[in-house]
Formats: sequence, structure tokens, C-alpha cells
Amino acid sequence: MSDFAIEATQLVKKFPARPGTGDKKTEGEAASSPKKKRWQFWKKEPKALFTAVDGVDLQIQRGEIFGLLGPNGAGKSTTIRMLCTLLEPTSGTARVNGFDVVKQANDVRRSLGTLLAGERSIYWKLSGRENLEYFAALYHIPQPIAKKRVEELIERMELKDRANELVEKYSTGMRQRVAIAKALLARPPILLLDEPTLGLDPQAARRLRELIAELKQEGHTILLTTHYMEEADQLSDRIGIIDTGKVIALDTPAGLKRRIEQKEVIKLEVTGWHDEIGEKLKSITGIENLITRQQGEADLWEVNMQAHNSRTAIPRIVEHISGNGTRLVNMNIVKPSLEDVFIHLTGKALRD
Amino acid sequence: METSLTPQSLGQRGLLSDIRAFLAIIRREWTIFIRYPSWIIAMLIWPLIFPMLYILTARALSGPDGSGLAVFMKTTGATDYIGYIIIGTTVWMWQNIVLWDVGFALRQEQMRGTLESNWLSPTWRFSYLLGHTGPQIVSMAIFVLITAIEFGLIFGVRLNGSGWMLALVMLAAIPAIYGLGFAFASLVITVKEANAFVFLIRGLVMIFCGITFPIAILPEWMQAVAKWMPQSYLIHAMRTAAFSNAGVNELLPDLIPLLSFGTFWLVVGYLAFIWMERRARQTGAIGQY
Repeated sequence: MSDFAIEATQLVKKFPARPGTGDKKTEGEAASSPKKKRWQFWKKEPKALFTAVDGVDLQIQRGEIFGLLGPNGAGKSTTIRMLCTLLEPTSGTARVNGFDVVKQANDVRRSLGTLLAGERSIYWKLSGRENLEYFAALYHIPQPIAKKRVEELIERMELKDRANELVEKYSTGMRQRVAIAKALLARPPILLLDEPTLGLDPQAARRLRELIAELKQEGHTILLTTHYMEEADQLSDRIGIIDTGKVIALDTPAGLKRRIEQKEVIKLEVTGWHDEIGEKLKSITGIENLITRQQGEADLWEVNMQAHNSRTAIPRIVEHISGNGTRLVNMNIVKPSLEDVFIHLTGKALRD
Repeated sequence: METSLTPQSLGQRGLLSDIRAFLAIIRREWTIFIRYPSWIIAMLIWPLIFPMLYILTARALSGPDGSGLAVFMKTTGATDYIGYIIIGTTVWMWQNIVLWDVGFALRQEQMRGTLESNWLSPTWRFSYLLGHTGPQIVSMAIFVLITAIEFGLIFGVRLNGSGWMLALVMLAAIPAIYGLGFAFASLVITVKEANAFVFLIRGLVMIFCGITFPIAILPEWMQAVAKWMPQSYLIHAMRTAAFSNAGVNELLPDLIPLLSFGTFWLVVGYLAFIWMERRARQTGAIGQY
């Protein structure tokens, strides 16, 4: 058995780009590419490609919870889809449970439990029990074992009272639990959970996080993607931050936070915000990674920035914000969180 | 972080596992089918509505004394013009339903979001299409039975031939009709929208295969085209089986090309599926809407 549950080496995925998009050529590439002659009208231009994943290296230990974080379009889903054999890498290799994702795709699928499309990954016109029985057959679990396993999971996911009702009558949280039970059916050594708590109410999300922690205790290796920083921080043994298709940082949550622990985070709440103020704040020495976020529909803005020394920066911040209809409502200076590490590394918030 | 707790998958390899998975797909498809009650209405009304259009047109064109019908029956060799029309329209509806139903089976799963979760299992992927076909064939058999009962009761249409021979002909047509459906299903997953293609195929069947008229009245070039369409042989064989006492030997001139087209379309359907599956792995088409 391989030392690693998941191992990816220089994984690359390129897709045909839509017109006007695609990877930018370097000056050298642009100069060396042959110009199309007028008489070569039958020759096709080489297709423009968009690189979604650009040389990702990952080594995930057995029994580990590994969090993969990145803004939308960073390459998380493409990476996961390559690992679970839905996509073929353009180059590079990946092994899951010791099996090559291209050459031994079926063995990889046998080793994996996946939660990709959440509640949409199950049949709403079947009951919770019928869904589990169906997927147990797809995962080639012998019938007597499948029957026992389905009952076990129905009990564990607290679905017993409504297991025979159609899934369309379930709440989002219940559907998500059926989808997770589906991933656990074959008791796979490795679980890929893509945004498992998305759309759940806080209580359901908390229960699910507890379940993920239990699954780790039972020996499952878990690759988790999430938009919730606290979730990644709380659950993950290690975190990989991915941006523009590259892993830009990989460490334990504590290790990542140590990278900017000498910095402080200034959090403001402001009304009457306009972009020129942002430019002025960015010009203050020692201020970086300014992120703004509107709070709901109201004219209330949350402004976060990182500072080397908040004491010297605050008087200038207050000076820039006061006047012109802008009002400072609240100010806090806090220790950097994982989200601040993320902003520091990518220059954007996770939900950008 | 190596742990002795590492779970072992409960899945077992082997042909039996794949057969069980295939049966589970059929059961799932049938369960979902019967949970949409609108199918009962469609089953009762459609067999009547579509042929009625042609039957009423035939009556209107036959003249006030119905003499035109005698000419029509003489030209076609049919003893019952209503039965003659019903067989043609039923074959048209069969192909049409297969294109919409089997052809869009994977696409519907894709839009529902369940295609990826099926694709992620170790089951042989062609089973998803094959499994969809089982309940479709059963529902189509019910459709044909309802057609026979409705027209028997309302218009007094009776079979002169053998019901078994009719069933044999329809059985022989399954590979050709569904093979085309399989090829079409792969096309739909690739191009997403293929309604125009359904309209084209059913239009060709309508014009070239003689659903309400004998192919002999078509210009020669159209007759040549009709020879390349399995539905032409199916319609002819069904009419022969239903309205004469033809045995297998009399039906062979239609059954042999029908089975040959069936082999061809099954191979094309399977190869198209393999091509689509490979392309989807490269482009990510399975997860796209």
C-alpha cells in the first residue's frame, strides 16, 4: 500500500478556452509562434487553452483531514474532479489509495466516497432508503452486507423515522445527510467532500462537522473543500491554499497563521463608503491587503486591512475616513485569522 | 500518520456485482417512472390521438361513398386501412419516444445532478443507458397493447395474423431502434441541445418509411433512401405479420435487414458512448449543464 492516501505530482489541466480568453502568451512565445500566411486558409489556428490547474503537487497522509481552500475559479473543483476520475489530467500524475487515476480508474472509484453535488447527487423521487440501496448496488456491495450497512447509516444519520419518505420531502440538511451516507456506503478509505456544509443551517452544519471529525477517528482520510474558514481551521490537519491553479501555501492551520502573526488586522465598519477612500487607505505606510464587503442591503461596509503597526496607522485611517459623508461606526484590532492568511496570500477574500 | 484503522471498501469485484448493479438501475428507473402519474394519461391518450389525425384525413379524402378507401386498400394490399395506419404511426411513435426518452436519459440525469454520482461508482458505465432501456421497452409494450385494445374496441380493428409473429418482429427491431437511441444519447451529452436532430429523424421516418402509405408510391430515389432505414422493414414486417398468416419464412426478407441494421446501430451506439465517455473525461462534460 502506498504511503500516501492521495499523491499528485505536477498535475495540470487545460481546457479549450472560450474566444477572447485563454492563457496569455509570454513575449517569447508570442514572438516564436509562426504567423498564419494568407494562403494557408485551410490550416487551423492552434486552439487557445485555459489552464485551470497548473502543476499541483499534493501528498495527503492516510488518516489525515486535508483542507483545500481557494477562491471561486481557483482550481479546487478541477483538482478534485481529476482525483476522482471524472477528469483526465492534461499532464502530471495522481494516485489515490495507490492507484493511478487514469490507468486504474475503477480501483480509484472503489477507494473513494464522494460528496460533489451535495443534495443534487441523489434521486429526489426515491426515498432515502431506496437511494442508499441503489447506490450500494452500484458500489458492488453484496446484498446482505448492503442491507445491514444501509440500516446502520440510516440510524447514524438520524433518518430512521423518515427513511421511507421520498427525498423531495426532506429538508436540505436531511438530503445532505443522505448524500453523505451514500459516500460512506462502501466504507471507502478516502472521502472527497466538496463544500459539505454549504446551504445548511448552523445546527446542521455543526452536526456535520462533528461527523467529519468522527470519520477521521474511524481512520478515513478526508479531502475537504470549503468556503468556511472556521470550518477548515477547526477540522483540517493541514491546509493547502490554491489560487490561479497553483498551490501557493501548504501547512497546518497554526503554521499558516504564524506566517502573518507579526501583523495586526484592523476591522472597520463604515457608512457612506466610496472607492477613493480605499485608495487613500492603501497609500498609508504599513497598510496592505485591504478588503471591503457590503453588509447586506444597508449602506454599511466592513473594511478589513492588515497593518504592521496599528498604533501609527489608526490616526491616519480615522483622518481619511472622516468627512465627505463617510462615518466610522466601529473599529476593532484583532489577531490574524486563517481568513487573513488567505487574504495575505491571494489578495482576495475566499468568497470573491 | 499511518493508522491501523484504515477502512477497507465493502465493494466486491465480479460479473455478479455488475449484473446486480444493472438490475438496480432498471429498478430505479421503473420506480421513478411510475412515480410520475402523468404517464397513465399519456399512455391512454397518445395511442389514439396521433393515428386519428391520419384516419380522419383518410376518411375525408375517400369521398362521400368511401370509394377512395377501396382504391387505397387495393394499392396497399391491406384489408383494414385503420390497422394499416395504426402500425405505421405506432412505429413512428416508438422511434420518437425512444429518441426523447433513451436519447435524453443521460442528459436528464446530468441536469438533475445525479449523473456524476452514478459515474463515480465502479459500475460499467454503459449499464446506465442499457438499464434505462429495460423499463422503456416494458412501457412501450404496454403502449402497443393499449393501442390494440383501444382501436379494437372503438374501431373494431382485428388482427388476422399471429400476435406471436407481431411480437417477434418487434423484438427483432429492438436493437435497431434502441441502438440509434444509444448513439443519440451520447450526441446529446456532447452537444447538450439536440431537439432539431429528433425532429429531423422522425421527419425522415415519416416521409421515407411509409407510415401511412406504401413505399412503392414514392419516387425511386426516395425508395432507395427508404431501403437504408430499418423502420421501413419494421413497418412492412409488422403489417405482414398482423394482417396475413405469414410465418417466419415469409417475414425473413424483412427480419434479416432489420437484424443487420440492429447490429450496425448497436455497434455505432456503443462506440459513440465510448467516444463520449472519453471526451467527457477530457472536457469535464459530465458535470456541465
